[in-house]
Amino acid sequence: MAGNRRIFLTRCGTAGVASVGVSMPGIWRSAVNAAGLLGMPNTKGRVLVVVEMAGGNDGLNTVIPFADDTYYKARPVLAVPKDRVLKLNSAVGLHPKLGDLRTLFDDSQVAVIQGVGYPKPDRSHFRSMDIWHTARPESVDLRDGWLGRALERDPKALAGGVPALALGSEKLPLALLSGRVNVPNVQSMDAYKLLPGPGDQSAQARAKQTLREVVALKATEAGGELDFLRRTADVTLTSVDRLGEVAKAYKSGATYPETGLARKLQVVARLIAGDMGTQIFYVSLGGFDTHSRQQPVHELLLAELSGAIAAFLKDLKSHKLADRVMVATFSEFGRRVVENGSLGTDHGAASQMFCIGPGVKPGVTGAHPSLTDLVDGDLKHHTDFRQVYAALLQNWLGYPAEPVLGKGFQPVDCVKM
Amino acid sequence: MIPTVSAGPLAPHDFGPAGWSPADAAHLLRRSQYGASALEINRAHKAGPLATLERLCVPQPEEPQFERESALLRQTALDTGSTTNLQAWWLHRMLHSANPLVEKMTFLWHNLFATSNDKVKDAALMLAQNDLFRAQALGDYAKLLHQIARDPAMLIWLDGNANRRRHPNENFAREVMELFSLGVGNYTEKDIQEAARCFTGWHMRDGEFWFNDIQHDTGSKTVLGSTGKFDGDAVIDICLNQPACPRFIAIRLLKTFVLPEPDSKTIQAVADSITKNKFILRPVLRELLASRLFFSPQTRAAIIKSPLDLVLGTQRALVSAPRLEPTAKCLDDLGQALFMPPTVKGWEGGRLWISSTTYLLRANFATEISTQPKYGPLIDLDAQSRQHQLDTPAQAVDHYARLLLAAELDAKLKTRLVSLASSADSPDNRDRGLLHLLLALPEYQLM
Repeated sequence: MAGNRRIFLTRCGTAGVASVGVSMPGIWRSAVNAAGLLGMPNTKGRVLVVVEMAGGNDGLNTVIPFADDTYYKARPVLAVPKDRVLKLNSAVGLHPKLGDLRTLFDDSQVAVIQGVGYPKPDRSHFRSMDIWHTARPESVDLRDGWLGRALERDPKALAGGVPALALGSEKLPLALLSGRVNVPNVQSMDAYKLLPGPGDQSAQARAKQTLREVVALKATEAGGELDFLRRTADVTLTSVDRLGEVAKAYKSGATYPETGLARKLQVVARLIAGDMGTQIFYVSLGGFDTHSRQQPVHELLLAELSGAIAAFLKDLKSHKLADRVMVATFSEFGRRVVENGSLGTDHGAASQMFCIGPGVKPGVTGAHPSLTDLVDGDLKHHTDFRQVYAALLQNWLGYPAEPVLGKGFQPVDCVKM
Repeated sequence: MIPTVSAGPLAPHDFGPAGWSPADAAHLLRRSQYGASALEINRAHKAGPLATLERLCVPQPEEPQFERESALLRQTALDTGSTTNLQAWWLHRMLHSANPLVEKMTFLWHNLFATSNDKVKDAALMLAQNDLFRAQALGDYAKLLHQIARDPAMLIWLDGNANRRRHPNENFAREVMELFSLGVGNYTEKDIQEAARCFTGWHMRDGEFWFNDIQHDTGSKTVLGSTGKFDGDAVIDICLNQPACPRFIAIRLLKTFVLPEPDSKTIQAVADSITKNKFILRPVLRELLASRLFFSPQTRAAIIKSPLDLVLGTQRALVSAPRLEPTAKCLDDLGQALFMPPTVKGWEGGRLWISSTTYLLRANFATEISTQPKYGPLIDLDAQSRQHQLDTPAQAVDHYARLLLAAELDAKLKTRLVSLASSADSPDNRDRGLLHLLLALPEYQLM
């Protein structure tokens, strides 16, 4: 805990407090007090990039327990042969399509956190995804997400701007939802533009100005639908202007693969380079629901993940920005240990997470869950996903984790201190 | 007079001495159909609440021209097999049918039993499923639940043919409980596994339901506390008999027609009405749409418009002949492509309709409506101006705000709008500018 404390003090002690300054309005002050800290992150401009692997990634064929014969018995068709596994230690190794990730691992930039899950795992995509997004397995309250709740405790985020951004989705991911901070989501950079209204240029400018003014009006009922709409409209108009300015000067320092995830991460790199002050980016890679004929699809997806992240970090490195950035991956669940009758795998439970970037404490953390001591045919977790979230919030971004996640989630040791 | 109904939220609303106002009429129409034109609001106001509700809830004959156009669009969809053409067919019905509430309820079922042509890839089967929804739009949910379990599009969508005696596939069994009748928390994983066994052998062959008895598990199963040699119909009846089932449907009705976060007591009142009416929804809706709850201040401007409500509603109020294909494209961009729900969970709606990307698209839609005939020609603004004597900017602001906004115009907002309208260089630009801003407002996203 001493390490955590030190990092708060160094990062909050100087610029953090100074930037909040003497004119801090009451609401910010109370948020800071509620957080139990004076001054807030993120003085070093650290960035978290969350990569969602939607559909339930087959963790067992991602980080492979090649030394365990049970794996080969459970997966007569789908198992990766021992000699093709990219070994990380004497027990586990990466899928052969994760070659770029292996290179990053050798370069001490990957933390593999094994056996991650939560109590009473839910095998519904929707419910389990909601659980990962809200970090509230025991409740069906979908009013906010874990990152949204973290942002609510950051005066800078409450003050507006673009504290976080989701890319490539039409809907804002639940993880970023908050009752008080609105996060923009950008489906496509090219389409993220406001059309000018009717009339000549001066009429258009007046209309835009009026719109900006009226969305900034205070709704009579705070927290109601109108309040929510006005806040969204406000952050929309702000982010349209900011993104328009930022996007121009950037030049890529890496060749990105021609994949959807790579395109999204390239935009993230551009926005980090443009220094909009955005601390959290969120992107998703879908298609992991491999009930039948898993192998070709799963291989492509793993290659897409690995190639895109490697290009992204290389690009950031060329801009001398990599030290500020950490990528974290998750999926809503792993898949069943035993393969099914259609060359695929069904919904399972515990799986692994990756944290990637120069700031990680590298290596394999935690043992691979037992392949014989199962719960309903699925792997048991030994690490709660909220412990990983706690590490990302507290040890990487510098947000206190407890108000966001609740008590008792000791951060996983995956961030360099 | 002796009150015949208890004083609960579903008691009939008393309009009091002020009577049924144009705003009340607009409220009822915006909720029970996709938007309302000035003419429709006026007509409903003159007809009164009972006659308006009667017209909405009792089947009305369709115009022959509507039937001809609809048949043509349907044939086109069948001939091309294109999802856009399917969408055009349905949008035409939503905009022009004499039974708009039927179309709104048809959509409710499409959203509940969300099936995507992305996987089904068969326009005829999607149409057949849609017909099923329409036939029971205000009809019998229990019957519909039995029918949907045999519906070919659904069987493709949730892998019916993969559900075999020796290898039960849980896909349909899970969704029938989680998404179609009970909701999370009202069953166990074990119930799903057992229910999957009951649906084994419910297959599809040559585009039709086929009971493949070789693949049906005839053994004993235990589902939600009952044990027997159940088949799929038995599971559905067991679900229908759970107290969670009418509550589940009640929540859908309340969220669609009344308010985004109904409390438990209100949900139970509607659930009781559903139970009393044995899942026949026409009397339930009629009671709900005439209720004290429906007309209470807390429900006004309380629901965030879906893209359908926004786009079709705007067209109904402001566009003389909506163009269907660009409309379908616009709805797709805004996140509501008919026949293509994002997942089996359907469109979740509410605040999830709104993000900065979709807000931007909604603002740009406002621009397009007011500046170009992309979605169809704008109504004659000059004629509106003459008819309603919109001589001053304030009169124009009042007129269009009443037509378009669900809530009364806030004083500060009105000042800004009047000031903007006063700066216009021509009456036409004044009204276009006003429409542009009104449609882009956060207030306009509510109904």
